[in-house]
Amino acid sequence: MSHPTGVDHHKPHAAHEVHHEELGFWRKYVFSTDHKVIGIQYAVTGMLFLLFGFVLMMLMRWNLAYPGVPLPIIGTLFGDARMPGGTMLPEFYNELGAMHGTIMVFLGVVPLAVGGFGNFVLPLQIGAPDMAFPKINMMSYWCLFLGGITMLGSFFVPGGAAQSGWTSYTPLSVIAGSGQTWWLVGMIFLITSSLLGALNFLTTTIQLRAKGLTFMRFPFFVWAQFVTSFLLLLAFPPLEAAGVMQLMDRVAGTSFFMPSGLVVSGQVLANAGGGNTVLWQHLFWFLAHPEVYVLILPAMGIVAEIIANNTRKPLWGYRAMVYSIVFLGFVSFIVWAHHMFMTGMGTAMAAFFQTTTMIISIPSIVILTSLMLSLWGGSIRFNTPMLFAVAFLPMFGIGGLTGLPLGLNISDIPLHDTYYVIAHFHYVVAPGTIFALFAGIYYWYPKATGRMMNETLGRIHFWGSLVMMNVVFMPMFIVGLAGVSRRLFDAGSAYDFAQPVMQWNVVSSWGAWLMGIFQIPFIFNFFWSIRNGKTVSANPWEATTIEWAAPSPPPHGNFAVEPQAYRGPYEYSVPGAAKDFTPQHEAT
Amino acid sequence: MTKEINMRAIGSRLWLVAVLAAVLGWPGAAFAAATITGTITFAGKAPALKPLAMDADPACAKMHKAPVPAEMLVLGNGNSMGNVMVWVSKGLPAGKTYPAPKTPVTLDQKGCVYMPHVMGIMVGQAYRILNSDGILHNIHTLPKINPAFNRGQPATVKEMTTNFPKPENMFQVKCDVHPWMNAYIGVFTNPFYAVTGADGKFSIAGLDAGTYEITAWHERLGTQTATVTVGANDTKPQDFKFAVK
Repeated sequence: MSHPTGVDHHKPHAAHEVHHEELGFWRKYVFSTDHKVIGIQYAVTGMLFLLFGFVLMMLMRWNLAYPGVPLPIIGTLFGDARMPGGTMLPEFYNELGAMHGTIMVFLGVVPLAVGGFGNFVLPLQIGAPDMAFPKINMMSYWCLFLGGITMLGSFFVPGGAAQSGWTSYTPLSVIAGSGQTWWLVGMIFLITSSLLGALNFLTTTIQLRAKGLTFMRFPFFVWAQFVTSFLLLLAFPPLEAAGVMQLMDRVAGTSFFMPSGLVVSGQVLANAGGGNTVLWQHLFWFLAHPEVYVLILPAMGIVAEIIANNTRKPLWGYRAMVYSIVFLGFVSFIVWAHHMFMTGMGTAMAAFFQTTTMIISIPSIVILTSLMLSLWGGSIRFNTPMLFAVAFLPMFGIGGLTGLPLGLNISDIPLHDTYYVIAHFHYVVAPGTIFALFAGIYYWYPKATGRMMNETLGRIHFWGSLVMMNVVFMPMFIVGLAGVSRRLFDAGSAYDFAQPVMQWNVVSSWGAWLMGIFQIPFIFNFFWSIRNGKTVSANPWEATTIEWAAPSPPPHGNFAVEPQAYRGPYEYSVPGAAKDFTPQHEAT
Repeated sequence: MTKEINMRAIGSRLWLVAVLAAVLGWPGAAFAAATITGTITFAGKAPALKPLAMDADPACAKMHKAPVPAEMLVLGNGNSMGNVMVWVSKGLPAGKTYPAPKTPVTLDQKGCVYMPHVMGIMVGQAYRILNSDGILHNIHTLPKINPAFNRGQPATVKEMTTNFPKPENMFQVKCDVHPWMNAYIGVFTNPFYAVTGADGKFSIAGLDAGTYEITAWHERLGTQTATVTVGANDTKPQDFKFAVK
């Protein structure tokens, strides 16, 4: 079988065969350069931070449901400076809010979706023995680890962790307590981690793909990670620069973001002045909107793999999906200011950014529609990964469609900073991205461990999470449409206009706590199955992509024989074929 | 037996008298009994001040049936001035320390007004902050030397406590929720300070004989000083008169 031309062929497998050496514990499991170990490190770290960020949110939800009421038992553990007598102080709520957002985005979802799945799956899926730069890969993880430790450590500094929201808007963030300095230092570590990772993914994808694996033979997951890496590489540097600038404003007396004559607590602030506080918003959102796609594209990639596998048919509109995801990557750099309509931008700029925002919805809809149409006529296997993947579609759909009014200037202004916004983007990233991540964990767990996760526990986890996600977030649309601000520590209990919707906060909070309970089967299943799950062969899902050619779990170097790609990624139910899947790596 | 006990009791009293005589006779151990008193008045025509505007928070406005007078200038009969802090700013024995009282200084938030409006506290003394209103307040101190204290006090948190570790002249305490709420506090290393009532009177007692500089401070009308010499058991008057400059 001949290979398509233009593919850079390598012989890394042979190289690995000669340098296999027995590594000690520290180099094998802690300071490892193996992409699979690093992927698992990323994934476990990401999951732990997701759990931690979720706990912060559950605490916040207590004060939103029952403002001013002491939290029994647990509340007294936080001391008088944060929860005197168990009653949450506004400053502590602000800590929880800022750190919930920061941790969920930068320490939870990104490390799991990009660092975890990207590291573990991508090299396997392109038939590579490892990442292109294994030591940089290790460094990338440890930068993340340091960033995480810095963020956690900030809870223990005088005045507590950052309180300026995950967006850290200036000038408040510049005059905030010392926790904000820690936040900035932590972010610099996290951004460095992402940049190193992005470089590695791009190089690996281009240089280490298997023979015959042309770009249009990439599994959609590879495309998703590829575009995501470009977004990280190009969008994060401005925020890294902005973070250093804000740090200088705080500790070195500069005024990059501090205007002259700023009055703080009735007194003119003694600073150099001359800075522009809106500049921070531009630099932040120049990263943070592409960041939304960093959160969602890997999720789309995971869902695409699972839907193709469990419908037993090729993805509908694969090429259109690929063109859409590339287009989406480009356009994601010119929509950022739709987060800033409230800053008083001119009508011409507002018109431009709302137009680009409407345009970017088109490729998203193409991808979502293709995934939905892929279900049509399929012999669907409703296993746990497929349940999560299918649930992703309407949940992400709700998140995406409710974002359209926020992209239009005239409807964004009354909705800005209300709970409507919270509901919208949580539908995108919680029952959206996180469902996809759960799907991916259940799907590739056998590849990583050689064992299946328990199906019954998986279904309990799925149905409980699906119902509770909607119980949590659907009421927030109602609260937001009533005009309640997302920043209020007491959910607006002091305001008359918020009274008619206060009870919905109770519904959301109970939904959140019950959702927490429904994560217990997953946590148990995750650890229990490592030793007790049903053992599997290399390809338990009867899948077509190259990662399933490697043993489960794959050894160092991944493949006993260098794989080659002979066809596209989703050759399911090929007419005349002996079985309903024809792997990419099989010659016939 | 009874006689022996009585003799022993008499003996004890004699010892007591002897110790007291020695203490009183010792030159450096004289009882500090000097007092500086005074009245502070406002010179000129009293300005017409607008009452506090609490409309921004209806919960505050509802707490008052009548307009709440401005706190920046409190005048009594004969233009006597309240809310003036007076303290001994110089002349106290070098190196002498004064323990902070065990009882706290209390700041209450009642009717969306800080009570008292002007207060003094000693270094390390407990500063007790009450929320009698049962609505959200925020206590934000604006010191230059001490660490700032900026904390919300939700409706159900009735009491918080803090203290100030360093001496500092008068600084503002404000509520970030209700911008009209202001108070002023001075942190001292000694107990020789007083705040005038509406009658404008103050009294600083317990001083040793000596020459002292007395400072009077008003939040809008500035600071004045005077030098006063007091002998043991003296009570010396020192009045101040403030005017709009």
